[in-house]
Amino acid sequence: MPEGKKSTPPLLANWLASKFINESLLEEFLGDLKELYDERLVKRGRFYAKWMFWVDALYLLIGFTSFHFFRANNNPTILYKHYLIVAARNIYRNKFFSLINIAGLAVGMSACLMIYQYIHFELSYDKFHSNVDNIYRLTQSSIRNSEVNATDVFTSHALGVRAKESIPEINRFVRIHYHEDGGAVIANPDNDEPFEEDQILFVDSTFLDVFDFPLKMGNRTSVLSGKHHMVITEQAATKYFGTADPIGKTLEVRGNWVDGDFKVVGVLKAIPINSHLQFDFLLSMASLLDNYQYRNSTGWGWSNFVTYISVAKDADLNVLGEKFDQVITTYNGENLARTDTEIRTGFQTLSDIHLRSNFDRDPAIIGSIQDVYTFSIIGVFILIIAWINYINLSTARSINRAREVGIRKSIGAFKKELIVQFLIESLFINLICACLSIAIVFLTLPILNNLVSTELELVVLETIQFWIWFSILILCGSVLAGIYPAFVLSSFNPLGVIDSFKKNQRGNFNLRKGLIVFQFLASAILISGTYLVYDQVTFMKNQELGINTEHILVVTGPRVGFNNENIESKLQAFKNSVISHHSISGVTGSGMVPSKGFNWQAEIYKMGDLENEYEIGKINWVDLDFTETYNLQFLTGRPFKPNDRLDVLIDEESVRSFGLGTPENALNQKLIVGGDTVAVVGVLKNFHWNSVKDQQMPFLFASDDKCSAYFSIKLDLSNIQESISHIENSYNEVFGGNPFNYFFLDDEFNQQYQSDLQFGNLFSIFTFLSIIIAFIGLFALVSVSAASRIKEISIRKVLGARVTDLMVMLSKEYLKLLLIAVILAIPAVLYLGKAWLENYTYRTTIGFDVLIIPAFALMLISILTVSHRTYSAAKSSPINTLRTQ
Amino acid sequence: MKSKSIGEFEELVLLAVCILEGEGYGISVKREVEKHSGRSILLGAVHITLYRLQDKGLLQSEMGGNTEKRGDRRKRLFKVTESGMRQLHAAQDVRQKMWQLIPQLKPSL
Repeated sequence: MPEGKKSTPPLLANWLASKFINESLLEEFLGDLKELYDERLVKRGRFYAKWMFWVDALYLLIGFTSFHFFRANNNPTILYKHYLIVAARNIYRNKFFSLINIAGLAVGMSACLMIYQYIHFELSYDKFHSNVDNIYRLTQSSIRNSEVNATDVFTSHALGVRAKESIPEINRFVRIHYHEDGGAVIANPDNDEPFEEDQILFVDSTFLDVFDFPLKMGNRTSVLSGKHHMVITEQAATKYFGTADPIGKTLEVRGNWVDGDFKVVGVLKAIPINSHLQFDFLLSMASLLDNYQYRNSTGWGWSNFVTYISVAKDADLNVLGEKFDQVITTYNGENLARTDTEIRTGFQTLSDIHLRSNFDRDPAIIGSIQDVYTFSIIGVFILIIAWINYINLSTARSINRAREVGIRKSIGAFKKELIVQFLIESLFINLICACLSIAIVFLTLPILNNLVSTELELVVLETIQFWIWFSILILCGSVLAGIYPAFVLSSFNPLGVIDSFKKNQRGNFNLRKGLIVFQFLASAILISGTYLVYDQVTFMKNQELGINTEHILVVTGPRVGFNNENIESKLQAFKNSVISHHSISGVTGSGMVPSKGFNWQAEIYKMGDLENEYEIGKINWVDLDFTETYNLQFLTGRPFKPNDRLDVLIDEESVRSFGLGTPENALNQKLIVGGDTVAVVGVLKNFHWNSVKDQQMPFLFASDDKCSAYFSIKLDLSNIQESISHIENSYNEVFGGNPFNYFFLDDEFNQQYQSDLQFGNLFSIFTFLSIIIAFIGLFALVSVSAASRIKEISIRKVLGARVTDLMVMLSKEYLKLLLIAVILAIPAVLYLGKAWLENYTYRTTIGFDVLIIPAFALMLISILTVSHRTYSAAKSSPINTLRTQ
Repeated sequence: MKSKSIGEFEELVLLAVCILEGEGYGISVKREVEKHSGRSILLGAVHITLYRLQDKGLLQSEMGGNTEKRGDRRKRLFKVTESGMRQLHAAQDVRQKMWQLIPQLKPSL
């Protein structure tokens, strides 16, 4: 959010006023408005003041423009005024059709506006940094045998430093270390209530120079330079210090890589939600690098830092890339040569990170550019569907205006003038709908946010681009939707229409047919799409994981209050205490739990192979009971036994990747894992540790009976409350001073499909809207055709036709069109669906149901829509209808 | 065709300008009218009326006044003209005459 905008009146309203109000009067108006605004701001708050500012400004605008407008009695003004009056009368007189026309179009525009806001939000990520175009995130691709092995965003901690030393184009660099394995316990020593925190970043002191997160308190240039300094967000400040001034106070950080007391040196304003970096605490990098493992390293061994650089404006990225290669060769070339690996550095602009990242283990908040495209297309489709309604209704009902056209023509109107008249009418209706749609979105956005768990606000109204787009859209839409009806209406032959208005009635039916087919087609594709998205999510959720995630409660492990000596006895005490309850059938400690990631990613190869034949594998530490609690299937071998220090369990994928032959052969073979030699004691069936969207990777469990990052507790769900309170008691008894946090593993696991589900929810909402619009149109069209054929119906009825026959007769032509649309939809759905499913490793098949169910749904809705009208038409008494003719 | 008579709201605005004695501008007039009539009025309505009255020659105006808290903008101050005053008197006279014709209000005796 831009600052300083808070207390000024809406600039847009001022700008608007300046365009329409006479310059000599402007000064006093704006002065008055500002004076009133300030007064209201004090009395009733910002929202009221802003709102009334708009009301006043618009009232002035309308009042003044029309004031002058109506006073000017020259010919064109009178004419345009007349057009507007006729348009308004027409809307008023045909309330039913006007309502349908306006409602359909307004709903369509609202959907479009929501999509625009959604896209605007997705594209706005990280744009609030002033230097956004010159900041890059480094990526590292490891290349072997001229083949890219893996690309990710993790660099060593020396890379940034060395690059800055030797590459002049780099103005600044900042390294970020994400705290990957859970978080830390933080407490204010004065009131000593500990909280578990996981939004912690270690950053260089340049962090606030590169990124523009505004500081609320503290000195921008000097924060984070010292050891054990921290910057916190204002929310965190309130949480720990209440209203007191946090600057200079201390927070205890425990169970982190770096334990100790951190001094608060700065408070940041709330982090904008459209930032790919989200955090509550920034800890100084100096504190982390003082850690034993980094102090005693060359700086190239640990790849768990994300490096951002800000470069000179004219920097050539290709040259920069070569210079990075040079730096890496100079400092780390020997090491890489041993494994035959090359590291290439890539650069990702800051604004690309949110939407265009596709890296393994990316810690940023990632969206999808594909979703943005998909929804843009849906938005356009919805709008087209709505405009088609307008075209269809205007032409179908053209006969009602025929007499007006005839008379206008006979008293001297040119065709051109009539076209202008109908275009103005179209513009008039479009404008009404546009105003309505803004109101609708304003009111329904909170509901949408609720349904799809987004946090959208209607901020686009404050951007000039939006108003430009909006005006263009309305103008184009009015012309596109109005031009055909305008031509049809203006081409009536005056003699023909005044004399008897029966001709031309069905003349343009072919175009209408085409447009209806298009509407149905779009609806059918959207319904199939929705169905497919949910089908895929269900498919992924129901996928056999090979690992049990049900009925497992995970408790985050203790972070404070133990040391190397007493940890074992404490763990044992906790496990014994927990399992003593009848509802609990297993307890196990591990370094990670499914869906949470990995402890370690290492280069692994079979003993006896060459070092450069390594494969990347993922390792987690688990204790003895893990395989049993999680129901992992052994192909061969045995679970861990006590004192299995250097032994591992591997999965089938590892057997294949490391070239161990059959599972039986693999048993007791030795592997070199990141330099250590370990023995295989068992082979597990493949399982999905993370979402099935992830690629299958070699996966190893290493034995560690002291691991306690998470406790997984298997329980029956007969009395959850009691079980949980039992666990909490045990936990507090043994690990007092740690906050007790827990979650159910299956919920957590399914969270991984949240983004797919959200996509599906948004998709279904817009599908729903488009269907509503299409069927509103169908309903109106059927009404028109039933009304215009009422005489025919009556005569048929007199001659003995049954109600059902008549209904079939009236619905037949529309159902035929629907059938055509459904058939046309099949190849489109097959093609688009296949393309979309390519994104997933495990994908559902596009079955018959995806094609058939939407078709039936459409068929059903259209029969329901049509039958009401046709029924009442067919039911009407012939006497009543025939007598009036 | 233009009639010289004024409407009820115009009369209220005109009276407010008289009360304010040269200090009448958009907001002060709005406040004055709101104070006496007890209803809330949009700023734009006041402005439009002021201009209409000026066009009818019942008001005259000049730019002036302090510039603080208005974002450095001047305000337009209105004053009643001769004919404005006459118009008010005329309106008042009409009412007065009609009031006196209401039988119940005649002093009984």
